[in-house]
Amino acid sequence: MLHLDARAESPAAGRAFVEQACRRAGVDAASCFDLKLAVDEACANIIAHGYRGRSGGSIRIACASDEDSVRVTIVDRGRAFAPADLPAADVTSDWKERPLGGLGWHLIRQSVDEIDYEPDPAGGNRLTLVKRSRK
Amino acid sequence: MTEIRTEVVDRGHVTVLRVVGSVDGATAPALVAAFRGAVAEGRIRIVGDFSGVDYTSSAGLRALLETVKETRQRGGDLRLASVQPDVRRVLDLAGFTGILKLYGDVEEAVASFPETPA
Repeated sequence: MLHLDARAESPAAGRAFVEQACRRAGVDAASCFDLKLAVDEACANIIAHGYRGRSGGSIRIACASDEDSVRVTIVDRGRAFAPADLPAADVTSDWKERPLGGLGWHLIRQSVDEIDYEPDPAGGNRLTLVKRSRK
Repeated sequence: MTEIRTEVVDRGHVTVLRVVGSVDGATAPALVAAFRGAVAEGRIRIVGDFSGVDYTSSAGLRALLETVKETRQRGGDLRLASVQPDVRRVLDLAGFTGILKLYGDVEEAVASFPETPA
């Protein structure tokens, strides 16, 4: 279990934590990269949106693995959010029309195999990301 | 803690911005500042040398798209050279390879800009 303060520097520690878990589980490098990207984006969203205007926020990350997948659970106490309600990202229009930002959840959806979200009964959010190894 | 370093190299009519490090929410502001600084100096034909960039999150994509818009609106462009496979993966996932011009190395990217821009 990794405990992080909700600060801009924290996603890098989250990535390093996931990398260690992937190495222990023997996950291939490409799958590990995708999972790190998803965890980075999830943490960045929690920091930017979940804890916006609040100090002292925390993020807890846990990793579990079986023979062919790694499961990362991210728990925060920030504002509740519902990933299913987020609009689809624009990834096709030309450079003039392409909006700045709004790609974080798109990258999460693209880079993991399963996403489970539930609001935490104690307040906050519990997000589970599953990546299956390609080995 | 991750950091990035940026270095501007003048190549005549083209500016090469060499970037080294991992680009995420913590480090992207330094990349944004470097790109904005170059554009503010009138450097609108920019090659981003990404040979030393091992990672980018959406924060880096935002910096790239902002610079593409700023340079192209002024008649220039931002083009990337030596993009590493992991970073290329993020560009692909985000649909950025359809709007950004990528080159195998810096020389090729510099040569892609005409000597006498319109």
